Amino acid sequence: MSGWSLAWRLARRELSARFRGLRLLLLCLFLGVGALAAIGGLGDAIGGELASRGRVLLGGDVELSVSQRLADPPELAAMRAAGRVSETVRMQSMAVTAAGATAPVQLKAVDGGYPLYGRLTLADGRAVRAPATDMVWVARALAERLSLRVGDPLRFGTARFRVGGVIADEPDRLGEGFTLGPVAIVSRAGLDRTGLVQPGSLFETKYRLAAAGDPARVVARFERRFPTAGWETRTRDRASPGASRFVARMGEFLTLVGLAALVIAGIGVGNGVGSYLEARRGSIAMLKVLGATSGVVARVYLLQLLAVTGVGILLGLAAGIVAVPLVGLAVGAVLPVAPGLTVAPAPLLLAAAYGLLIALGFCAPPLVAAGRLPAAALLRGALDARTGGGWRGVAWSTAAGAPVAVLALLTTGRPAFAAAFLGGTAAALAILAAIGAAIRAGTAHLPRPRRPLARLALAALHRPGSRTVSLVVALGLGLTMFVLLASIRTSIDANIRRSVPERAPALFALDVPPEREGEFRRTVAAAAPGATVATVPLMRGTITGYGTTRVADLATIPEGAWVLRGERGLTFAAAPPSGSTLTAGRWWTAAEGRGALVSIDERLAGALGLRIGDPLTVSVLGLERTARISSFRRIAWDTLGFNFVMVFSPGALGDVPHNLAATIDMPAARSAAVTRALLPRFPSTSVVEVGGVLRQVQDVVGQMATAIGVAAGIAVLAGTAVLLGAIAAARAARTYDAVMLKVLGATRRQVLATQAMEYAALAAIVGAVALILGAGGGWFVVTRVFGFDWLPDWGVVLATLVGGAAATVAIGVAGTLPVLRAKPAAALRAL
Amino acid sequence: MAARDMAIRAADVRLTLGGAAPVEILKGIDLQVADGESLALLGASGSGKSSLMAVLSGLERATSGRVEVAGADFGALDEDGLAVARRGRIGIVLQAFHLLPTMTARENVAVPMELAGEGDAFARAEAELAAVGLSHRLHHYPAQLSGGEQQRVAIARALGPRPRIVFADEPTGNLDAATGEQVMDLLFDRRAATGATLVVITHDHALARRCDRVITLADGRIAA
Repeated sequence: MSGWSLAWRLARRELSARFRGLRLLLLCLFLGVGALAAIGGLGDAIGGELASRGRVLLGGDVELSVSQRLADPPELAAMRAAGRVSETVRMQSMAVTAAGATAPVQLKAVDGGYPLYGRLTLADGRAVRAPATDMVWVARALAERLSLRVGDPLRFGTARFRVGGVIADEPDRLGEGFTLGPVAIVSRAGLDRTGLVQPGSLFETKYRLAAAGDPARVVARFERRFPTAGWETRTRDRASPGASRFVARMGEFLTLVGLAALVIAGIGVGNGVGSYLEARRGSIAMLKVLGATSGVVARVYLLQLLAVTGVGILLGLAAGIVAVPLVGLAVGAVLPVAPGLTVAPAPLLLAAAYGLLIALGFCAPPLVAAGRLPAAALLRGALDARTGGGWRGVAWSTAAGAPVAVLALLTTGRPAFAAAFLGGTAAALAILAAIGAAIRAGTAHLPRPRRPLARLALAALHRPGSRTVSLVVALGLGLTMFVLLASIRTSIDANIRRSVPERAPALFALDVPPEREGEFRRTVAAAAPGATVATVPLMRGTITGYGTTRVADLATIPEGAWVLRGERGLTFAAAPPSGSTLTAGRWWTAAEGRGALVSIDERLAGALGLRIGDPLTVSVLGLERTARISSFRRIAWDTLGFNFVMVFSPGALGDVPHNLAATIDMPAARSAAVTRALLPRFPSTSVVEVGGVLRQVQDVVGQMATAIGVAAGIAVLAGTAVLLGAIAAARAARTYDAVMLKVLGATRRQVLATQAMEYAALAAIVGAVALILGAGGGWFVVTRVFGFDWLPDWGVVLATLVGGAAATVAIGVAGTLPVLRAKPAAALRAL
Repeated sequence: MAARDMAIRAADVRLTLGGAAPVEILKGIDLQVADGESLALLGASGSGKSSLMAVLSGLERATSGRVEVAGADFGALDEDGLAVARRGRIGIVLQAFHLLPTMTARENVAVPMELAGEGDAFARAEAELAAVGLSHRLHHYPAQLSGGEQQRVAIARALGPRPRIVFADEPTGNLDAATGEQVMDLLFDRRAATGATLVVITHDHALARRCDRVITLADGRIAA
């Protein structure tokens, strides 16, 4: 009979159907593989959804958008030559009910061709297109906020409408990006009735094309023909770049969390397998006595472990598949699309491969050690020194571990980042193992305490067969995970709180006609005496050139030059704006300001390599304007005032049609009164409550933080499982000690105190290391992965660490309680 | 005696154990055991009886000296080599039985024959268990057997492969007197039936007198 056949027969006899002794292995693989399968499946589902529904999400094969104007006839003709065209105009506005209640909305005016792809459906099930001229479709959030029902009147600008229905599905919603307020859809003719579109008004016009040819070629032709007209372009494969970036960034973080969970699970696997094989020491030695070679022994137990590994992986994959739609339900608002129940082969195969390699890598050392166990160990018990895996164990571990690292680096979009993460994890494990070894070696040389119980506690750390190293690694991992989670969560929470400055304007107002600024100020003053009003001219444009570079010629946007993507708010000013500090150059005098000059953010200057005197070109209303850089500024972004990356001189943009934007600083309780006073007089002005916007942002970020916390919690769960497994593995020796001490006359309190001393000593030493490792990991995630500021609440972090350590001591000690409750005779028989 | 008649030949065998604080357990043992002979090893606790048995059975490698058992030079073999050498040559019965707890009596007896690649292992295992009076316990696990029954299974396991030599280390040490008597009767009967050489470690002088020869160890040397 072949060696493997015999080994399988022997393996099957030993393997319990309920996997007794290998449940930690099963649990750790289930958690690790399940986490990776869920993460991979989620990313695959969302990415697939974004890719396959690109034209629906975008609203066309190509999207061409421009601010504050419509396409001129040559541009329109060029679009029509490329395919069917649908025009949409978007702008900020205010919805006003008959009772005078108001809400900021994203007013969207569509033509008869909308939507080119997908269906616009209402809550009553109807698929519709543009509403009638006097009708509006409203988003559910708007209907709820203003308590609207079908047929209710609603005013935008100077025009009255009737609510024709509540929107159930707006096919291009995701492609629209972040908006200040829910959407309200009217027809193009309906928008014209409102009188909101005036020279200088802030609005965006989008032309979606159902292109006959290749979308990329259509865009390239259009850009070549109209290079300076300020058009932004997108194709269906980049329907939502923001969502794609978000998915990619979250996917990377979650993948690293999954890998961390799997590596931690690997520690648990190694501990569990080590304990399992330790418990079978007698059987292994007896097999050797009966003539089994080390190869036979290794094969027998390898087959057992592979059987359990297979079950753990399958269960993990099943859990991962089921978890994807559940995650979608739990954190729906955070995700750009709702993932359904899908089976994506690639991420599942990857998760299974990781699980198998991690299991093999961490099983190898105890497996090789088991094979090396001499037959004479039967006679000499647990004190045999020849129990290590040796170089062969290391070689097998490396052979299994190297592909894990290679897979991780090949499948991530940021290999250097992933390498740093994996390297850091390996270093952390090595540090913990070294500390465990140091504790074991060091305690052997400490002076022996006089008190027998203290002596016993100290001896437990270094006696032959002690599990100090594995306990320190598991304890260190568990406590590090607690610190990591606490520092990440408290940092993100602090960042969210910091997003609300102590003093923020109560209201923003957009599209204030400049010729009526005085009336605007008087109206505010009458409704809220003492309110402070600040105004700035506001228009929108894109940067089309800087220095000697044309933006259209760039293959990729330079790091830190986010302003080159899309339109920016532009303004001009005679004096330096508050909230900015000049760091280079100087501000223009009144005479100099009549020329074309611009002051820019110092970080933008750094990102683009700009110097004082370099030219900067923007496209506004289809025409390019070039100005010379006269100064750099450092901007205080957290004041929530008007902060602009570029501030032009009056001579550069003063002649461009524009409206004003205003901040109104006053007690928030006056907001409703001021809004009610302004809207009848300024129907084209949008008034936005700052608090509401910030709450909207905070809600989304808060949910994201929750998602991050849940994801990191998986790693914590794995760490906790490993910790409990290590405590359980060490329990056998402690049980023996406890029984013998009772037989010899120790009280239960004395026995518990001995064990508590041992665990407390370990927890104290390891806790200090865990604080450093966990804080380091948390800093990496918060600042390098998510780009937030490092703002942990050290009080909470320390409390979490101390709490975790106390819980560990309690659990370790509690494991002995059943033994202590039994009478000594009964406990001796059970030994 | 002629060389071909020797089951065991040990010359100046020494054994030292313990890395940090080494202790010399065997201090130069010279011993020959003929084929078919039964030998009792007597001695006080710590005299080196079990260690000598471990060396002679290939469970332990001598620090120095020559050990030749059933024609195999143990000094030239590593751990795996010793394991292979034990197959079919040596049967071992231990004081604590050491049955494999996750296997039935039948499977326990069959294991050494399976390891030796014998195709009829289970049939022979059933026959051996019948010979020791346990044909009604074939499918019972060790935890379901009494001490005496477990030791009988261990005897069946040791003798099943028809080894040339059987080592028994205090085979009745964990049994009451009556059961121990029965077990030893069984061991001698089965040994006589198979013609194996028997080496027994015991404190029991009455048991020792049942053997062809008695050797007494003291302080790692043969005293008598």
